[in-house]
Amino acid sequence: MKITVCIGSSCHLKGSRQIVEGLQQRVQEHGLDSRIELAGAFCMGHCAEGVNVTIDGERFSVHPETLDSFFNSEVLPRLQ
Amino acid sequence: MNNLCTDIGYYSLNKRGEQLCGDHVDVVEQNENSPVIVLADGLGSGVKACILSTLTSKIISTMMAKSMPIEECVATIASTLPVCEVRGIAYSTFTIILIQNNESADIIQYDNPHVILLRNGKNLVYPETASEIGGKTIYRSHITLQKNDTFIAMSDGAIYAGVEKSLNYGWQRDNIIDFMETMYDSGFTAKTISTILLDECNRLYGEEPGDDTTVCTVKIRERQPMNLMIGPPANPDDVPKMMSLFFSKEGKHIVCGGTTSSLAAKFLGKPLDTGLPVYIDPEIPPTSKIEGVDLVTEGVITINRVLTYAKDYLEDNKSYEHWSFKRDGASMIARLLFEEATDINFFVGRAINPAHQNPDLPITFSIKMQLVTELSDCLKKMGKRIKVSYF
Repeated sequence: MKITVCIGSSCHLKGSRQIVEGLQQRVQEHGLDSRIELAGAFCMGHCAEGVNVTIDGERFSVHPETLDSFFNSEVLPRLQ
Repeated sequence: MNNLCTDIGYYSLNKRGEQLCGDHVDVVEQNENSPVIVLADGLGSGVKACILSTLTSKIISTMMAKSMPIEECVATIASTLPVCEVRGIAYSTFTIILIQNNESADIIQYDNPHVILLRNGKNLVYPETASEIGGKTIYRSHITLQKNDTFIAMSDGAIYAGVEKSLNYGWQRDNIIDFMETMYDSGFTAKTISTILLDECNRLYGEEPGDDTTVCTVKIRERQPMNLMIGPPANPDDVPKMMSLFFSKEGKHIVCGGTTSSLAAKFLGKPLDTGLPVYIDPEIPPTSKIEGVDLVTEGVITINRVLTYAKDYLEDNKSYEHWSFKRDGASMIARLLFEEATDINFFVGRAINPAHQNPDLPITFSIKMQLVTELSDCLKKMGKRIKVSYF
């Protein structure tokens, strides 16, 4: 599974760094290093809905506060 | 003609409690490759010294740039400067460095500590001829320039640093030579060399300088072109034109901005590799890679930081310790533009990012344009040749 986080200017200001670091931490905690590839990407063209995150191409809008629910309800079930 | 150019950087410490500096540096271009640099130290301190040194450096630099002989310059100063009521003399010491076509340098010195010349980082003792002009002993030297020759001119505040504080008699010119030989790195800019010496003087003074202290460094270096592109063109049809002009330029290439990077990657037919983002500086978005581009960064936030560094560089250069070694986008751009480049071409795209046209976002089109204008102004003040092309 490939998770891509937008690191464009606008998403950066909305917290890309917290998302990237939060995801790295959760992937490690769950021992998923071999199953999830994390990457960055420049502007996805949906700045107003940032921070933009894609899972295998499907786009989600994630905030640092909603990272937990995103990880639990979108990331983990897809790995079942 | 050769491929050399001069990098000139100077800064002053004011005597404690003084708002004005009694030293003054003036740089005048006789022609493109022949600057005249004058460092003058006015008698006393404060307003009076400031006026004396400003007048002296302005008169000398203007007259020398018009190829007037030094005798006439000195005579003009002697008859123009206001006479100090307390001391009954009109007086300002000076150092003149006259660069000719980046091939030779003439140094004319009156009463300032003598210019230190580092050739490949080692002190070079250069011949001096003494002559008397209007009762003043003036020392002249003629030097054929080599790449990396570094001239360090200073006011006497530099050699008095530490008197009554950390050292009994201050440090001498020889001690400064030892210090600068130790600190020397061929990658340092003139401004960095000047501020390294000034920081040490300030330290010896216990951060309370007993005299105005000025250091002016003139470094002979090779021209180095650099190209920076930011923003897609206003008209999408101009993308191929903008890209081919940009990539055909000699020198390194920096691409700033997400959309711009994607366009550059497409033009070059290479992937845009963002990899796993690494945050070296939490506020600066990570860089990425495109084969054939020397540096790929985010746009406005990064450039905004570079502008902050540029403004600081023109003042006391305190943020040098941040940008001089870090691997974040802004620090890397700062090193490329401030240290490496001498001639910079900006390729500025005027497209309005539709994604940014949202009142919730702090990025506006006018900010972007203003950043580029301000940055190029700062770079000009650093002595760079700047060309800005809009698309």
